[in-house]
Amino acid sequence: MGRRIILLGLSVLLLAAGCGDEPGVGMEVPVEGTISGPSTPTPYALEVPAYLPAPIVDPENPVSVEGVELGRHIFYDAEILSTDGTMSCASCHRQELAFTDGLDRSLGVRRLAGSRSAMSLVNLAFNPNGFNWDGSAPKLWEQAIHPVEDMLELDNDWEEVLRKLRADADYPARFRAAFGIDNTAEISRELTIKALAQFERTIISADSKYDRVVYHNTDFFTEQEQLGADSLFFVENLPPGALHPGCGHCHNAPSFGDNKFHNNGLDDVASLDDFIDKGLGGVNGNRFDNGKFRTPTLRNIALTAPYMHDGRFETLEEVLDHYASGGHDVENEDPNITGFTLTEREKEALLAFLHTLTDESLLTDARFAAPH
Amino acid sequence: MKHLLLYLLLLLGLTACLDDDDLPAVAETDLTLDFRAEYGGEGLAIQREAYGYPTGDTLKLLLFQYYVSDLELLPAGGAAPVRLAEIDLLRWNSASDSATLTRSYRVPAGEYVGLRFGLGVKPELNAQDPSTFAADYVLNEAEFWGPTTRYVFAKIEANADLEGDGRFDTGLSYHMGSDALYTTVEFARDLRIGPGQTEQLTVVADVLRALSGNGETFAIDNPDQQAVHGGNQAVAQDIWNRLAAQFTLEVR
Repeated sequence: MGRRIILLGLSVLLLAAGCGDEPGVGMEVPVEGTISGPSTPTPYALEVPAYLPAPIVDPENPVSVEGVELGRHIFYDAEILSTDGTMSCASCHRQELAFTDGLDRSLGVRRLAGSRSAMSLVNLAFNPNGFNWDGSAPKLWEQAIHPVEDMLELDNDWEEVLRKLRADADYPARFRAAFGIDNTAEISRELTIKALAQFERTIISADSKYDRVVYHNTDFFTEQEQLGADSLFFVENLPPGALHPGCGHCHNAPSFGDNKFHNNGLDDVASLDDFIDKGLGGVNGNRFDNGKFRTPTLRNIALTAPYMHDGRFETLEEVLDHYASGGHDVENEDPNITGFTLTEREKEALLAFLHTLTDESLLTDARFAAPH
Repeated sequence: MKHLLLYLLLLLGLTACLDDDDLPAVAETDLTLDFRAEYGGEGLAIQREAYGYPTGDTLKLLLFQYYVSDLELLPAGGAAPVRLAEIDLLRWNSASDSATLTRSYRVPAGEYVGLRFGLGVKPELNAQDPSTFAADYVLNEAEFWGPTTRYVFAKIEANADLEGDGRFDTGLSYHMGSDALYTTVEFARDLRIGPGQTEQLTVVADVLRALSGNGETFAIDNPDQQAVHGGNQAVAQDIWNRLAAQFTLEVR
């Protein structure tokens, strides 16, 4: 008898629930979380000068006008991203510093230093893989997962980020416009980081004096800059016995990086197991890759001090002195870290050349600035 | 005249019937081609192995790579070569790399009399600005001397222990490439490639044989011969010559 009453009750409940899902004919019953507005993303035409290669296409994350704009909003939104509302991606990637932060190791919301220096975000559209100093993110859009959660960075919880995004008055419509979703429940971590990546892909830096001289033929190097380029940077004719292959060996134009990982002779360790920061080896578990880090681009290098993955060098002069000293002969050191004679004249010339890689227009380009 | 018109119409009709669908289909099949790197006949172990060198020194390889252009199968009977790849880069630079890299192609099944490729980047491509290509294309891997100059066709990099003290502290860096160095490598072998291909083809390159062979050994202890880049190609001319001559094709 009791079981019959329960079954009858359940049947009535099911019937009522079933009726609740069916709106009356001709009636619009708003569903909680429904998003209205445009839902067809407009393909974004990335502006890339002819002297840069065609950007890498990520079929998993096609770039749209609406996606880029959404990404830009999130990139600068401290309220959404950090646990205490004080920090966003832009806190460590400042436009006026070519999207770095001027610190040796970035400070998070707790004002504690992380383990590495903030990398510049320019020209990521040309990186095929291995984002971050240690190559830990295979794809650009995967890169943003960790900083949000890291207690030494934004120290937030993705569920909390999504809760805020879904409850926001503006973001749901932007997500719909960018990804065609219908309901706030569809706002996900994946869509959020994909939007961030779409914005980051648009940050192209290619308007330096170097570009004007070499590619546009609208400017000239000074004698000193030319000496820096010829004597130590782009060494085309290495005389027998000369050891330095030229900075361009790993920092070749037009990218001024090589998308590879090297031990560039920073640490004097007794064995490959003794690196404090193992870099690539810490990610792939291969001890022979310990102490190897991604080659950063030298575009805007005059703005991105301090240098190296841990910001150990405050100035470019210190960096040049390091390379001239020839590393520490650790067995997985890049064989092109050989040491060389560097006169004061050559050093000044090389520094002058490195300053020609600064893209002034990048620093104030409204497309990359905080949205109003 | 009437008969001629009739004949032409008949001919036209017959020609129309002979479309591609009626030609005997050439069956395509999968072909896997292995590229194996060795040192002294053993599978190359980047960084992991300390290799003996004929001068009595020891070295650890950090990088071995080379471009191949116009990788082609040569059909029996003199038909046009079957191109497997216009350009490819074979690279070993990690201790976790297998000594054997495998590439897969679709090719017409049939009898072939050989395999060939150009060692390096063929002149038409070598004349191109790398920015012509997408950022993730094989010709845009920062393997060029300068922004507008030619590609590096092959690289051998190592750290050597020249003092016998267990320290691999002498860098060796041999970067080779120019139109003048471009060399065709050809293997004349009867190859039967068909569905269920049983023959495994392996192109083998031995780094030691590139550095030392035919009674000549490249002097890695000579400071003038420890770095070859760009304009001093002549220093490594004999390395290039030996590299181009030592390739073998294993068929199993």
